[in-house]
Amino acid sequence: MPQKFRCQVTDILEHGERVYSVILKPEKVAPRFLPGQFLHLALDNYNPGDFWPDSRTFSIASAPDERHNLRITYAVKGQFTSRMETELCPGCEVWIKMPYGEFIVNAENDVCLLAGGTGVTAFTAFLTGLSAEHPRRVFLFYGARSPDLLIYRPLVDVVQQRCSCLKARFFAEQDTEGTDCLSGRIEAAIVFGLVSNPLSVTYYIAGPPEMINELTSGLGQRGVTQEHLVIDAWE
Amino acid sequence: MKRDALLRAKILKLVEEYYQERFAGRSFDPEKDTVHVAGRVFDAEELIKLVDSSLDFFLTANRYSDQFEAEFSEYFGLSNAYLVNSGSSANLAALTALTSPKLGERRLRPGDEVVTVAAGFPTTVTPILQNRLVPVFLDVNMGDYTVISSRIEEAIGPKTRLIAMAHTMGVPFDLDTVMRLAKAHNLWVVEDNCDALGSRYRGQLTGTFGDIATVSFYPAHHITMGEGGCVLTGDDLLGRILRSLRDWGRDCYCAGGENNTCGKRFSQQFGTLPHGYDHKYVYSHIGYNLKVTDMQAAVGVAQFRKLEDFISRRKVNFQKLYALLEAYQDRLILPHATPNADPSWFGFVLTVRDGAGFTRNELTSFLEANRIETRNLFSGNLLRQPAFMDIEHRVVGDLTNTDLITGRTFFIGVYPGIDDSQLEYIGSTFARFMRGERVV
Repeated sequence: MPQKFRCQVTDILEHGERVYSVILKPEKVAPRFLPGQFLHLALDNYNPGDFWPDSRTFSIASAPDERHNLRITYAVKGQFTSRMETELCPGCEVWIKMPYGEFIVNAENDVCLLAGGTGVTAFTAFLTGLSAEHPRRVFLFYGARSPDLLIYRPLVDVVQQRCSCLKARFFAEQDTEGTDCLSGRIEAAIVFGLVSNPLSVTYYIAGPPEMINELTSGLGQRGVTQEHLVIDAWE
Repeated sequence: MKRDALLRAKILKLVEEYYQERFAGRSFDPEKDTVHVAGRVFDAEELIKLVDSSLDFFLTANRYSDQFEAEFSEYFGLSNAYLVNSGSSANLAALTALTSPKLGERRLRPGDEVVTVAAGFPTTVTPILQNRLVPVFLDVNMGDYTVISSRIEEAIGPKTRLIAMAHTMGVPFDLDTVMRLAKAHNLWVVEDNCDALGSRYRGQLTGTFGDIATVSFYPAHHITMGEGGCVLTGDDLLGRILRSLRDWGRDCYCAGGENNTCGKRFSQQFGTLPHGYDHKYVYSHIGYNLKVTDMQAAVGVAQFRKLEDFISRRKVNFQKLYALLEAYQDRLILPHATPNADPSWFGFVLTVRDGAGFTRNELTSFLEANRIETRNLFSGNLLRQPAFMDIEHRVVGDLTNTDLITGRTFFIGVYPGIDDSQLEYIGSTFARFMRGERVV
């Protein structure tokens, strides 16, 4: 159930190319949330007797059992994220309301997670919670502009070592030489080539709008039905 | 401090003074005061929060509603608590939620049967009828006034989809049996917890066993916000459905005064609406407006802090009344809890025994004439009420005890506003009646 509360910024990680992760310490334990849910972050002060200020949505990248610390990752893309880049610093306070959203991976099915850039944060909490005994197949296709911007790759590698159910492939649009990343964007044709029995899995897509549109269209053309396609499309 | 904040602090200080002047320090005068069956129990904090909220002038649900819902859901350990404008509305939302198309094959459909009891408050049953479901009535035990659980299995037929009953007068019904049968027959369970806030069964709070629970905050109840109620669930899908039903049936879950909480306000497809139709005005349920104001919630926040104290005072009053009245057990059936239950008592229920030498109305008339309020056990046998006589229903077994309750049962108060002097007065008044005094 959504709650509004103050958070202190405890750390900011700069990943390059204006991509940042922010660690937030809630003034009280954050409400329960599910992997894939998101929060609203407001930079301006909120008077609880007044209207909620301008805010933006960010996937909660941290795991549901880490309610004393929350993590988000963002790329500077507009006015609000520019303000975040300028104004956020360790020690400063922001207002959060959370949790929201229904982009929740159904772990009872075989799933294929398609993540572009910071969109991967919609899946990181789910991946963190994967157990070694998870009985279903989990595919992750994770792409970014360059291998350096696959900022959650270390987490994916750790989970992959622990859980044989997880098969991950990485993509980068540039600088792939000498890496194990496939060159270019995630494409439906590649996904279908790498996932066995591809019509039996449910696809979850989180990333930039053009990636979502291309993959939705490409997967649909290959016979993936609406019931097997879940997208995390924000405005 | 800014001037508006200074003025607010000054006003709230005056409110505290007003409370002291207007309400504090009252004592019971047996010569002229009434022993109420229930009522508001409050101190300056309720008034201060009420005025504080009014000074926000947000009016609709806001910070106090958020706070109450968060604290209340934490208390129950359930992920969803939604304030509504009454316990009856909570029941309406709960039953209607189970008819939602979002539940797929598990949704209730017209004609499906609901196992319940006929002795209780009508709005436990009315949402069954309002949703074109069919109530199947069972009889209740004397003394605890909850369902005779050995009959539930017999009531379950091919159309049975739900068990919806109240923890009557704070007494938990046999949750072992109900939950076992619900699991075995894949039934939904709605706990009408309106009279039982703080009751426990095997140490666990009632309201946390079934799929949905309801609570009332009418002044007669354990805590109050005037008019108010709450509907709770640990199931997030049911939570979204309940919220939608409460908020006009809309799909959007923005709180009042908020926009684009989902981040997809103008980019989704619903029904045959144009793509990107404003999500604020997309309706996925035939809903209601059951919301509270923030002023109601503000009172609720202050009341909730007193809940544990209220519960323990109710229990103490119950024990003291029991001690005062147990000498009359040859003429009265005294209340008791079901096995494994620790009730947060709503009232002290008494049934006049066959051959007592007096009728219920002779006793209640005497008590009322001596300013001790009494109440019948709500509707008695609901099927004898004018509005319910022609409803579609089934009765499994008989309703012998339910009819006895209709004719012989009533209750008096145990609420925290009753102090030792009032209890003493109740005891002496009963003694006068039992010695043969009557209203002339």
